[in-house]
Amino acid sequence: MIDFAAIIAENILYLLLIIVGGLLVAIGVHFVPVGGAPAAMAQSTGVGTGTVQLAAGAGLTGLVAAGAVMQVTDNLLLVIASGMVGAMIMISSTMLLGNMIYIYGVGVPPASAKIKYDPITRDRQDLYISQGTEGHGVPTSCFISGVIGGGLGGLGGAMVYFALLSVTNGTSALNVIGLASIFSVAIFFINAVIASYNIGGTTEGFHDPKFKRLPKAVVSSIIVTFISGILSLITIGGL
Amino acid sequence: MEPLIGMGVLALMGAAAAIAGMSEDLESDVGSQSNPNSQVQLAPQMMYPHRIFNKAISGEPPSNALMCAIGGTTAAILMDSMGMSVLFSVAIGALVAALAHGSYSTMSFFGRPASQKRFKQPIYLDVLRSHIVAIMAFAFVTTFSIVIISYLMITALGHPFPLALLAFIWGIAVGAIGSSTGDVHYGAERQFQNTEFGAGLNAAQSGNIVRKGEAGLRNGIDNLWFCSRFGGPATGIAFAMTVFLSGWITLVFDPSISLTIGWLSVIAGLIIVLILIIFNRKLEVSARNTYGPYKSDKEEVAA
Repeated sequence: MIDFAAIIAENILYLLLIIVGGLLVAIGVHFVPVGGAPAAMAQSTGVGTGTVQLAAGAGLTGLVAAGAVMQVTDNLLLVIASGMVGAMIMISSTMLLGNMIYIYGVGVPPASAKIKYDPITRDRQDLYISQGTEGHGVPTSCFISGVIGGGLGGLGGAMVYFALLSVTNGTSALNVIGLASIFSVAIFFINAVIASYNIGGTTEGFHDPKFKRLPKAVVSSIIVTFISGILSLITIGGL
Repeated sequence: MEPLIGMGVLALMGAAAAIAGMSEDLESDVGSQSNPNSQVQLAPQMMYPHRIFNKAISGEPPSNALMCAIGGTTAAILMDSMGMSVLFSVAIGALVAALAHGSYSTMSFFGRPASQKRFKQPIYLDVLRSHIVAIMAFAFVTTFSIVIISYLMITALGHPFPLALLAFIWGIAVGAIGSSTGDVHYGAERQFQNTEFGAGLNAAQSGNIVRKGEAGLRNGIDNLWFCSRFGGPATGIAFAMTVFLSGWITLVFDPSISLTIGWLSVIAGLIIVLILIIFNRKLEVSARNTYGPYKSDKEEVAA
């Protein structure tokens, strides 16, 4: 019989790390500027895909980088920093090339519809929006918001992976790596979806009015990550 | 491992990633997947029946992740349990994935136009016959390249994740990149070439996609030809940058040597991100200066 209470008590610190990691993912997704289907038709500001999809793409790239570094060091800070950097590289390459397509392929300059002046560059935005659209492309403030969001996602994903891999267990390292990575991906998706529902489709990043909805996502993320964290702890710790 | 061999492996991975990115985007153009397909789906309802292949199995990341995970799993089983050679296993894995993708595409193609019978949208069997081969071929190339990248990461660079999971994660990443970059060229430009270049796409134009081709009626293969000139290669570059740069920093500054070098890899990564931010800013400024504003500033005129 598996002693659930003992497993959780023994790994309570890792459970906390998992919750913080999940929370970081949920917060990070709020920063990622996604315009959904309208952005794919250059009708709204942001990257032309879904919130979960882009955040997952970036965060999981970070997870791959963190996994590679975790193989050679057990320093928590270095592992999560590597995850953060991997995710940041993915999301900035994507936004840069996406912007190139908006500019050279579609012929529209990056412009935000939610703000009159870009909060970072102080550039005027409303004059550069084409008729009948809600902005297009990824202006600098959205780009930087996206980099922060991707970074937080990678940080969170790597933190969850680190915690799960450190749980005390009685099985081979190969099994634990497989399970820990799958659970990290799962916890990442759960939190990305929570954030996506909270945003409700499209957002431009930290300057978007929808960003103020963040506290709601924080509460739901803590609850859901707590439950999924306990499940994954028992699964790995009980082996 | 010798740094030079590591660099060679990484270069090979970058090349495979460029091919994977390009084929992923072109697959979604010829078959019309992801967000731009909303217009292909909408067109008949606005009384614009068309001959464009209509499939959106799911968002691109889950669809590609499924393909790559099928390919990775099949290849891993063939290699580990049956002792087959790597290249043969990966090719068979990619073939199985392409077959699975082809069956999903066929079902999707029959299902979607069938639901639009009341809008008089026909189901063209010749479109299915001509497009499904291209769709499956691109699916094969994408899966093959992604599984090769994952295999190289595990065997040559010593990555701890299992092959199927690594293929799954790269499948998600390539789908996210294709959906964010290449698809814009298809959705915002190719589908709406009836509006002036650079005029922006008024929301009132929704559903009014171009239905006449360079010769005859336009189909997915015409879209493939156009998008292969910019959208596809751009996706390839974005995915290759992701794979290459995220691997390059830990290869040059190897964290296994010492913790300090590990931190140097993080700093190198942050510098790369900073360069990309500056590059994007330069691009934004040049676009604003070249194209100019769409309307004059009423406040200044009034003053």
